[in-house]
Amino acid sequence: MSKKLLHKTQQIYLIFAIIIFIVIAPIFYIFSRWMYINNIDETLVDYKEDFIEKMLPKLTEENLPVWNNFNTTQQIKQYYPIKRDTMFYTTYFSEIEQELEPYRELETPIKIGENNYIFTTKISLFESEDLIISIAFLFFILITLLLIVLGIITNKISIKIWKPFYENLAQFEAFKIDNPNKLHLKQTNIEEFNRLNLSIEKLIQNNYIIYENQREFVENAAHELQTPIAVFKGKIDILMQRSDITKGQAELLESLNDSIARLNRLNKNLLTLSKIEKNNLNEITSFQIKEIIEKQLEFFKEQAIQKNIHIESHINGVINISANKGFTEILCSNLLLNAIQHNVINGNISIYIANNKFTVSNTGISSAIKSESLFNRFSKASSSEKGNGLGLAIVKKIVDINNWSISYKYENNAHSFTVTF
Amino acid sequence: MKLLLIEDEQELAKSIQEYLNGNEFVCEWANKFSTALDKISNYDYDCILLDLMLPDGNGLEILTELKKQNKTDGVIIISAKETLDSRIEGFNLGADDYLTKPFHLSELLVRIQALIRRKQFGGSNIVTFNEIEIDLQSKTVKVNHKLVEITKKEIDLLLYLIGNHNRVLSKGAIAEHLSGDMADMLDNHDFVYAHIKNLKKKLKSANAVDYIKTVYGLGYKWQNE
Repeated sequence: MSKKLLHKTQQIYLIFAIIIFIVIAPIFYIFSRWMYINNIDETLVDYKEDFIEKMLPKLTEENLPVWNNFNTTQQIKQYYPIKRDTMFYTTYFSEIEQELEPYRELETPIKIGENNYIFTTKISLFESEDLIISIAFLFFILITLLLIVLGIITNKISIKIWKPFYENLAQFEAFKIDNPNKLHLKQTNIEEFNRLNLSIEKLIQNNYIIYENQREFVENAAHELQTPIAVFKGKIDILMQRSDITKGQAELLESLNDSIARLNRLNKNLLTLSKIEKNNLNEITSFQIKEIIEKQLEFFKEQAIQKNIHIESHINGVINISANKGFTEILCSNLLLNAIQHNVINGNISIYIANNKFTVSNTGISSAIKSESLFNRFSKASSSEKGNGLGLAIVKKIVDINNWSISYKYENNAHSFTVTF
Repeated sequence: MKLLLIEDEQELAKSIQEYLNGNEFVCEWANKFSTALDKISNYDYDCILLDLMLPDGNGLEILTELKKQNKTDGVIIISAKETLDSRIEGFNLGADDYLTKPFHLSELLVRIQALIRRKQFGGSNIVTFNEIEIDLQSKTVKVNHKLVEITKKEIDLLLYLIGNHNRVLSKGAIAEHLSGDMADMLDNHDFVYAHIKNLKKKLKSANAVDYIKTVYGLGYKWQNE
């Protein structure tokens, strides 16, 4: 699953922060404790040296019990063999606190008179624990604050740095090959982004050139075909005037006429397609769909009579649109033409205009058309059909360039095409 | 009537000439821009048929040249290129009509006739064929001086048939004439039959001669018996 870039960095940042916390905290505790004990040990040694230097020379065996009585942290004990300056942890019961208190103690052998004794001095660790905890707590707060501030700053910076990227991304997503002028990429001072922009612009440019070439090819091919078709049509018109045409020849001429009409239709449709691709945003005017339908209805009603098709129109409300009127006329007439051509004898056609929707619904074959390739060029419901499979492709193209939408459904024995403006 | 055909495609030019020469027209042909320029400077034509794409020049410049020489020859542009721009430009430069290739020769003929009528009579004129009289301004038809009730479309069909009298007209050509661009998208031209039938019936009931003949497999013909 893909995640948003910002979430990804935030997530990584959070994980690292937690890891740093977990690892640093005990290390910090152990280290500060070690420092502290080290400090205490030095103090103990200082005490001891102080004692040996100042007290020891004055001490005699007789006043030893008195000295011991007046000192609480320093004592002189009976000798037992130990090394010089032995340090260890121990606990003593505190009368005031009524509990065991931790101590750090130093023992060292000394000599008073002729006898060996042991000098011991100790420092309570009770308060030091509190201190270490306080320091650790302070440290935690500082680290947490630091991480939060850093997190916010990196987040802000990320958003700022990636902003042009997201803006450009939105443009790439909205990009259409038949409308290449719309791309205005944001320049940044980040080399990688500029490189990305540059390569995408290049890619688009190359694709656009290929697309243009192809479109031009179709346009030129269709244009070039116009003249031979015109010659063909003219020659048939001339040939038809001959007075010695037999029945068989007349039939041949009729089928030639049909073929040339088909070729002409195909060529006209190809020209229309390339024209739509070329001038998609030119000649925009404001008009109503109703006007177009009412104008075309007369013609289509005339056509419908041949198949005894009943046309009814339900025009509720007004659809005002801004588009190329010629193309919109083609859109409407192609849909109506389809509704007649794919209809059955004694069929029905209903036209609806309401709520920004234009629907043409007609009776026809009694099953839904497989719809994946419905709007593709040269896709036909059956190979026996006379249509050239470009009608709906043209409709789709017009819908696309205007950012409208078209849908097909088969319901209650009727095939409906709905354009939403 | 003198026509000038400016067209570089020889075969098409031959067909047009052959179709038009049979009528009251004499059709000259220029296959190059330079020849066309010579001809328009030296002669007056009732109508010029102008292809825009010529090997040695742009057809639109012929229009500019005509204007410069204060010529009033009617011009019909016949072009394979059909864009709104070229249409508007053509009309702005003084063209009278625009016909996109491919077209039926019968269509070209009635367009020429209509143009010449407009030029000569300012649009208010009457087309007569034996006992039939068509008043183009009031859009009425009289047979033996008696008004016939007839629709606009039927008048249009009648003019087209009379204009192409003694010519066989295919159903497709008639359909294209009656319905314009939309008709050539249709593969069914049965509606032509309905119009012909109605027109025939109306003319017959007005006691006109039955000029409209059905030509088997091909179409219809307005025949002067």
